[in-house]
Parts: sequence; C-alpha cells; structure tokens
Amino acid sequence: MLRYILRRVLIWIPSLLLILLGVYALAFFGAGDPIKLIFMRAPGDVAYDPVRIEAIRQSAGLDQPFLVQFGHYILNLLQGNWGNSLITGRPVWRTISAAAPVSLQLGLVTIVLTAVIAIPLGVIAALNQNSRLDYAILGSAIALWAIPPYVAGPLLMVALIVILPGGEIPYGWGGIFDVRVLLPLAVLSMQPIALIVRQTRAAVIEVMGEDFVRTARAKGVPELIVALRHIMRPVLTPVVTQLGLIMITLINGAIFVELVFGLPGLGRLTVQSTLDSDYPIILGITLIGASLVMISNLLVDLVYPLLDPRAGQARQGR
Amino acid sequence: MSSSPLLSVRNLEIEVSTRRGPAKVVDGISFDVERGEALGVVGESGCGKSITTLSLLGLLPPGARVSAGFALMDDRNLFTLSRPALRKVRGGRIGMIFQDPMTSFNPVLKIGDQLIEPLVYHRGLSRAEAWERAGELLRLVGIPGGEARLDNYPHELSGGMRQRVMIAMGLACEPPLLIADEPTTALDVTIQAQIVDLVKDLRARLGMSIIWITHDLALVSGLVDRIIVLYAGKVVEEALVDDLYAKPTHPYTRGLLASLPTLEGEETRRLPAIGGTPPDPGRRPPGCPFAPRCPLKVELCERAMPPLEPVDGRNSHRAACWVTTGAMEMAA
Amino acid sequence: MSSPALSTGPAEAPDETVSLWRDAWRRLIANRLAVFGLAVVALLILVALVGPWLTPYDFLSQDINARNQAPSLVHWFGTDDLGRDVLSRVIYGARTALLVAIVVTGIALSIGVLLGAVAGYAGGRVDAFIMWLTDIAMSVPSLLLVVVINTSLKPPLARWMDAKYLETLNPVFRETVWIDFVLVFGSMALILWPPYARLIRAQVLSIRSRNYVTAARALGLPAGIVIRRYIVPNALGPVIVAVSAGLGNAMVLESAFSFLGVGVTPPTPSWGNMISDGLRVWRTYPHLLAAPAAVLGLATIAFSFLGDGLNDALNPKQWRK
Repeated sequence: MLRYILRRVLIWIPSLLLILLGVYALAFFGAGDPIKLIFMRAPGDVAYDPVRIEAIRQSAGLDQPFLVQFGHYILNLLQGNWGNSLITGRPVWRTISAAAPVSLQLGLVTIVLTAVIAIPLGVIAALNQNSRLDYAILGSAIALWAIPPYVAGPLLMVALIVILPGGEIPYGWGGIFDVRVLLPLAVLSMQPIALIVRQTRAAVIEVMGEDFVRTARAKGVPELIVALRHIMRPVLTPVVTQLGLIMITLINGAIFVELVFGLPGLGRLTVQSTLDSDYPIILGITLIGASLVMISNLLVDLVYPLLDPRAGQARQGR
Repeated sequence: MSSSPLLSVRNLEIEVSTRRGPAKVVDGISFDVERGEALGVVGESGCGKSITTLSLLGLLPPGARVSAGFALMDDRNLFTLSRPALRKVRGGRIGMIFQDPMTSFNPVLKIGDQLIEPLVYHRGLSRAEAWERAGELLRLVGIPGGEARLDNYPHELSGGMRQRVMIAMGLACEPPLLIADEPTTALDVTIQAQIVDLVKDLRARLGMSIIWITHDLALVSGLVDRIIVLYAGKVVEEALVDDLYAKPTHPYTRGLLASLPTLEGEETRRLPAIGGTPPDPGRRPPGCPFAPRCPLKVELCERAMPPLEPVDGRNSHRAACWVTTGAMEMAA
Repeated sequence: MSSPALSTGPAEAPDETVSLWRDAWRRLIANRLAVFGLAVVALLILVALVGPWLTPYDFLSQDINARNQAPSLVHWFGTDDLGRDVLSRVIYGARTALLVAIVVTGIALSIGVLLGAVAGYAGGRVDAFIMWLTDIAMSVPSLLLVVVINTSLKPPLARWMDAKYLETLNPVFRETVWIDFVLVFGSMALILWPPYARLIRAQVLSIRSRNYVTAARALGLPAGIVIRRYIVPNALGPVIVAVSAGLGNAMVLESAFSFLGVGVTPPTPSWGNMISDGLRVWRTYPHLLAAPAAVLGLATIAFSFLGDGLNDALNPKQWRK
C-alpha cells in the first residue's frame, strides 16, 4: 500500500516538471523578457534606460539560455522560493497563500453541498424513473449544466437586488460564514450538482436492473434497506471516481465566480496575473492547480478498493 | 386429496409490453404444489417458466404484469398482497435460488452480510446471532470451514460455492417452499450433479416443497416427483416423473425426451432435435402453439387449442394434444 | 437466459449491418428528448449553412440611428451598441459556433484517435508513456492553460502577421481568422483531446479481445471484413456519443474564453463574445445578453439530449433492459 502511494507520488515529479516547463516556455518565448514587461507597464516617469535594463537582466540571470533559467527556477522552487511577482514585487508564495484560503473554503463547501444535494436528488430521480418528478429533476440538472457560471452569476446577482431592494449587493469577501458568500456558492455548485445528479441517476438505474437487487428483494429485505445497502453502495463507486473531474470543474468555475463576485481568491488572481503577464504567479498557480487534481485522483484510486472489493484484488494481482 | 396444496396457481396470465403492444408470455397456466412435493417445471428458453415464478414473489421486471389468475398460498392470493405482507412471503414463506450465482450476489458486500439478511429481517435476530446461524447454514450446504467463509466477498468464491451459498440464503428461514430457477445452468456439469444431490439431501432433512425450473429433463429426473412441461406460455403436459418417462404423450415432450442421450441403446445414433423455433409471443397462432413444429399435426391443430386431457383415464397424467390423447375423436 | 421477451421470431433481417444502424435509428427517434436535440442540431446546421442568405441585415453593418434598440418587428432581437442587428449576429454566430465545434472537436478527436489507437495497439512502454501524457494534460487547469497560451502567443503572432502583411501586402495576413484557427482552436483542442484518447484506447483494448472478433477471425474472414463488420460498428457507438457531447462542450468553452477575452477575435460574431459584450451593459439592455445566452443554452441542451439519446440507441448493453 505504502509502496503504491510512493510510486504514484514519484510519477508526479516528472509530470509537474513537464507542466512547468511548458508554461515557462510560453512565458520565455511568447511573452518575452519580464524586465521589459515591467518597464512597459511602469509609470511614465521611469526612464527606459537600456543600460540599466541590461544590468538588471544580468544580475537576475535573465541573459542566460532558456534551460539554465528554468533550472534556476526549479532549484529555487525546491528551496521554497517561488520567485517574486513582476507587478507587486511581493513573494509569489505569500501572494498565493493569501488568496488560497478563500478558494479552498469555497471549494470544500461546494463539494459538501454537491454531495448532500446532488446524490439524494439523483437517487430520487432514478427511483421515480420517467415520472414527472424525474423529468423535473433531470430537466433542471440539464438546464443548470447549460447555463455557464458567468451568465448565471450576474443574473442571480440582479435577481437578488430586485427581490431585496434594500439588501446588500453580494460583492466582496467577508469570510465563509458571511451571507454574501451564499450567491457565489450557489453559482459555483450549479455545474457540479448538475453533473453528479445525472451521474447518480444513471448509476442507480443501471444498478437497479442488476440481478443482485432482485436477489435482495427475493429475500424479503425492506425496500429502504435495498435502496441504501444494495443499490447505493455500488452506485457510490462510479460517482466517487468523478472527484477529479469535479475538481477541474471547480477550479474553472472559481475563475468566473471570483471574478463576477469580486472574491480575492486564486481564480481572480489567475485572471489578474494572466492579464498582467505576471508569470511567476501563473507558474505558482499552475503548480498548485495541477497538484490538486493529481492529489484528488490519487485519493480516488485509494478509496476505490474500499468501495469495490474487486478492484483491490485486481491491483494486488498486477 | 386430504389436505389442501401448499400452493395453487390458477389460470395465470402474464403480459409483457413490447413495441408491438402487449404480448401474453404466460397464457393460462394452472398447477398445484403439494406439501413436501418437488415439482419440476420444464421447457425451453422463453416458454414463460422463469417469469411465472418471479410473479409469485412480485418480482416481475418492469413492463410485465399479471393480467389474470391467482396464486393461493396460506389461504391468501399472492398477487393481491400488500407490500409488507409480500415482503414477509419473500424469503420467509418462499425461498428463491437464481440462475446465475455470478450476478445474483452483490459484489461489494461480504457473503455473510448477504446471508444474514433473511434472518435479520424475518426472524428478527441480532447481527451477531444471525452471523452465528449463517455459519451453521454454510456447513449445512457443505461449505467446509463454514463461518470463516462469511468474511469472503462473492468474487472470492467459485461458481459452485456461490450457488451453495445461494441455497443457504434461500433456506435460511426454512421456508415451506423453495423455488430454484435453473440453479445449475451456469455451472460445470460435475458441479451440477453436486448441487442437485445437495438439494435432494436438504429436502430429505428439512422437508420443504420445491419448484425446480430447468430445461434439462435428465438432470431433475432423480430429484422431482412430478413434472409440468411448458411450451409457449401454456402447460402442454403434466405427469408424475415415472409416467412421463414411461409414456410421454405430447409430441413436444416426446421430442424433449428423444433428444436426451442415453447410456444404453445403439452406439451411433444421431440425437433427434426438434425443428424450428417457438412462436413469437406477440403473434401466436390461434391453435396449438406447437403445431408449426409438430410432426403429427392435423388440420384441427392450427384452428383450436386442445384442452388438457387425462392420459389413460388418470387425472395425474394429462396432456394437451388433439392427436395423441384422443381428444379429437371425443370432440368429433 | 430465459427471459421470455427473447424468444426468436422468424428471421427478418437479411443484412445485419444495415439493420444494426436502422435499429439504432428507430430507438433514437422513439426518444422524444433525442428527437428534440436532433431537430435543434439540424436547425443549427441549416442556419449555419444558409444563414447569410437568411439574415435580414448584414452582421457588420452599423446603424448609428438605431443603437441599443429593444426587440421590435424591425429588429426581432433588437440592436447592439453599434446599431448592429442582434438577430443577424446571432445567426452568423451559429456559423462560428459550428465552426468552433467541428474544427476543435475534429482536431481533438484526431489527436485522441492517433494517440489512443497507438497506445492500445502498441501496449507496454509506448502505452504507459502516452497514458502518462494524457494524465498530465488532464491535470493542468484547463482554462488557465488556454488563457496563458493565448495571452502569451497572440500578441507576437499578431505582430508577426502585421509585419508579414506590410512586407508582402498579401491580404491573407490581415485575416484575424487565422489567429483564431491556430491559437484559439488549437489551444482548445489541446485541452480537449485526452478523454478521446482514453476512450479510443479502451475501445481498442476491449474489442480486440472480444470473443466475436476471435470467432470471426477463426472463421477465416478477411481482415477487411472483420474490421468493417465487427470492429468498427462496435467501436463506433461510444465514439459517436462522445463526439456529440464534445461538440456541445466546445461551443460552451468558446464562450467561456470569449468572456475571459481570449475567444474568437471580434468583429467575427460568436455567441461567446456577444455574451461577454452583453454582460457589460445588460442592466440597461438585457436583450443583448439574453439573446446569445438563450441560443447557446438551447444548443448545449440539444447536444446533450442528442448525446444521451445516441448513447441509449447505440449501446446494446442498455437496451436489453
């Protein structure tokens, strides 16, 4: 077990290196010299002095070949130095760790909301297959899936202003227990909920047709127990494997939601840093985002054998 | 008959909705199961034998429904039971063994957790008591090690083992009736005989009635007392096992028996097969459903369905054939 | 198997490959939601093909006297801030949407088929390497990657095209469409190919080992027949389903990138850049947001319904129940 985890984690190193190399190359060959980028955006009174720029470049090692610079970046990274923002000059690590808690809290609450709302709805829809209730649940899920968060966000925002004319405009961050967080949470969880409702419904319908469900009924097991024990356990397996996908949906959704609702999280930092071509921050965010997806995929693979005993045996056999 | 039968099915009709409208897959079946009796139900795929037994437990698949008839057990009609009452019957009064031991177990639950369910929900045993009893049941069905096997998952057992567990599950609450739906079809031939012997042995010890569904006449001949032969949703012949072998009367039964290999007899005899396939339930001919494949058919067979008539004047042996029972002469 | 519904009727299928598709078609049109999806998708394709002859106005022509008009009989969907007819732009946007969907899905599918098939057939180290690449591509935050690619490569590419134009005066280098093709479509395909590669690999692995393929080979059928009649029909179903869902995905993705300012370059109308334009002024002119958003939503739902319907129709394991 430990060896398996170790092997999986070891593969992350070349994977992350390759990803960073790609983004670094984009910055190096596409966007160009970071010093020039800084000077281009500097206020007018800073003179564009080629000699001075050259001096800064040399002192920062920016005149060296691409791979050498990349190597320096990685070495620094290994020592915990993520570089400094090109715009603010603050350390990347501090900038990211200031923004991360906002996104992480939003993300965690969204995952909990998704599980608590979507799985029961999917089950209810499946148990009432082809009834009006089923169509209503499935229809709403498909509609939620089709409305992008950047359209839903502003629409809900104004709907709220119309309904509560005196109320506060839900813009800005006041912690996860602030009322203003409700709307962004709703928008952020819309697509994951839609995804999981449909997945759960399909899985339940498939399992309901299995022979072992008929066996359980033939034994006189009460319907509720049949649903909870015999149907839900096998259903959870495919649903849990969607965690990685949900992670990506969340990371993407956070970009829009934080932008629309003015939340100081990683999503807004992402957009801001790409607009500014602030590559040290972009690299840092890429690293964190990719690691999150990889970690959640590993978690899924670790939980899977607990849910499905057959999978555990298959892996030991390999 | 001195005591009433354990189960009486009368005029059972089951309809399945298809793209071309409802199709009658079971068309007026009647039979009794006496207390302690083992009844064999024989017929080829699609003749309605499985769906008949599923209907007794209210387990018809979506789209299928009982459209006529009743099934009496303990003075109650099984088809009109309330949900809680039906639940008590399932596993409590009627135990069921399914065909495929691979798919009939929940793959993510331990054998023991599945085996104790009837005990917990019918007998009200605690988990620990039921677990202990489950271990005894495993030994009863001849699984060495008994209790230790309860912690296994289904995929860790062989097909024959799984079918033994399935039998233990069906018998857990000692129901007066055990229904076995082709329990050996998915197993190796040598294992098949073991399973039949096991059920025979358990019947001798526990004394329950059995309905054994199969398409293999030879397999059940030593196990059951009486056989009913189904064809295209109808009973075409019923008889005590010995009578059926001694004097198969319906041409379909004769065909079935003739296609069995025997140990004695000519060395190189080609086993005769019954030509053709059964009719589609959606568009059965008005007369005898076997007529299109029947070597003995006469003009009347295609016009009218023959009634079940006694063979040799005995009510225990009846067949539905215009030609071989002599019903045609009587009707004429 | 002794399910009563399975009894064999008289044989009525002279050619099983034809009846396989005809059967799937029959199941598809029996599904009301799928028919709805199919109808909307067909309408979308029709509008994209003949749209320019349908539009009441040119999608670029501006009318200073009719800016920001609410929907009326003259302008069904109203006009935008430059006095352009919104209906005409939405209709032309269908062409862009379909172009995005087909080109992006086409590129992604080609990469997926190539890598997936190679991985499935070659196995071993090649397989492990390709699957490693697929995993990596799936763990990069996709929106971030596309935005970074576009923000870092678009300016130099645009500069290069400008320089080329001044050098050669060839009008080809003034078409921003090429930047869209290479960068926007390319980067979208770059994040969309991994699921196709996984699917194709899984299909190759599972079908190669199926009994009916072995049986067909054992019968001595020529390889071409085995591939055409046994492998392709069985492999195609899931791929068709994935492509149908992928087309809808690509359209939504384009609108997301337009919102972030890296979608199809204006003035080419796309539903995405119309939505992002509409978002700026929608408190005063809601129709500018509502029209493209509703059409995009409708198209997404249609592709989703069609995908589900195709899945039910083409997946033989499910119609047994």
